[in-house]
Amino acid sequence: MNTPGRIPVILLSGFLGSGKSTLLNTFLNDPSVQDTAVIINEFGEVPVDHLLVRRGETTISQVSTGCLCCSDTTDIHQTLQDLSSAALEGVTGKFSRVIVEMSGLGDPAPLVNALSGEKNGTEQPQGDAKSIEFYLAGVVTLFDAVAGASSVENHFEALKQIAFADRIVLTKTDLASNLETPADFAALSNELRELNASAEILDRQSADVSALFSPRPYAVLDRGEDVAGWLALEAALALEAGHATRTDQKNGQLRHGAGIRTFSIVSDTPLPEQKFRRFLSLLQDSAGQRLLRVKGIVSTEATPEEPLIVHAVQHVVSRPVRLPAWPDEDRRTRLVFITDGVDPEPVRALFTAVIDAVPFSFSGSFKKAGNAFWASFTRAFSTLTSISRRSQ
Amino acid sequence: MTRFHNPLAPKFTRLKNRSTEIKGWVRELMQLPEDTAITVAELACREEGCPDIETVIGVLEPDKPIVTIRVHTTMADVTKADVAEAADVKA
Repeated sequence: MNTPGRIPVILLSGFLGSGKSTLLNTFLNDPSVQDTAVIINEFGEVPVDHLLVRRGETTISQVSTGCLCCSDTTDIHQTLQDLSSAALEGVTGKFSRVIVEMSGLGDPAPLVNALSGEKNGTEQPQGDAKSIEFYLAGVVTLFDAVAGASSVENHFEALKQIAFADRIVLTKTDLASNLETPADFAALSNELRELNASAEILDRQSADVSALFSPRPYAVLDRGEDVAGWLALEAALALEAGHATRTDQKNGQLRHGAGIRTFSIVSDTPLPEQKFRRFLSLLQDSAGQRLLRVKGIVSTEATPEEPLIVHAVQHVVSRPVRLPAWPDEDRRTRLVFITDGVDPEPVRALFTAVIDAVPFSFSGSFKKAGNAFWASFTRAFSTLTSISRRSQ
Repeated sequence: MTRFHNPLAPKFTRLKNRSTEIKGWVRELMQLPEDTAITVAELACREEGCPDIETVIGVLEPDKPIVTIRVHTTMADVTKADVAEAADVKA
């Protein structure tokens, strides 16, 4: 139950490609869900996640590029304050709940500390004595039943996301070949219990999505010793000299491994769809699991008014979805890549090579060869003529 | 029927087990009592000239400020000798 003057904040976390935007879409399009503000945080220089979430009439969406967990905690306070100011000034509708969709590489610790601390109230402008207090009311973490085990094994961020959750939602269970029986589900749940003994574990296929983000007490102590330790360590590091320079870091990549990087490709002209699919396939074949995530919106030559939404997660490329219209004024193709050790230059070179490739045509090749031969013959004749004149 | 167990399947607890191992080294090297909490995390390093990932260990003794120990390598690559050197104790 909500308390007047206090607004619950629920964190939605989950490793790259675990289905956060898809779940959020389902939730926001539920008629029973009203008055929810959404903060979408993504790890990338060109924001696209907000395009992938279709908003209901009463939903307010704010996009924060960079990574909230890498920036000073005032970022989340500022974003919450902006939301409440907009609602109080009538710029947007009022809301009674906030969902923060974290970056797939997001570390919950700084946000949990920020929302559990004392400085989470927002001062209202124009002398309004009232202040809205935001409080943490749950952490929902998605676990990709197909790729999640690999993520948890190799990425510390994924492990932390699971550990902080009070609700773990298994996604893509319909696609997982190793989840065919109730015993398989029980085995997976037991594995997750090793990382988080107290969280409620739900299957996305059968879960009541409208109830997932209901506010409830979030107690750090219930999350176990590791979580309490990480929060204490996070607070200590924040106080250490030099740690305050975190906000100077470019693009919020500080907290994440050196190999993890993000870059984008933006194209002004519509792309030939088959070539684009070929590019994705080649990239996936060559980069393998180092291609952590590809997401974006693509303008295609055949239907430029109906963009394609593309998603790829490690070795799984989802079938592109065609939207009936562009979600904003920007009609450019925007692709965001998050990789583990793959540099942007070869990816951009591959993109250019595949998209600009001229298909082989025998008649075209014959004509091209003929032109080349005629040009060579002309040059040779001209040279011979010139030599002949000089020798006379 | 016996179910096939894939020995190459990803291990959920790989990083957690590693963390437990490192905590054990810290407790032994620093001769810490059992009730002293130790936490281990992997973060990016902020110091120039260091590897980009570091393992940060926090020792949380009651009524004392947290002691942090930084080992400039990934959690997977940390050795007991690394911890000893970073904590300035003999392995």
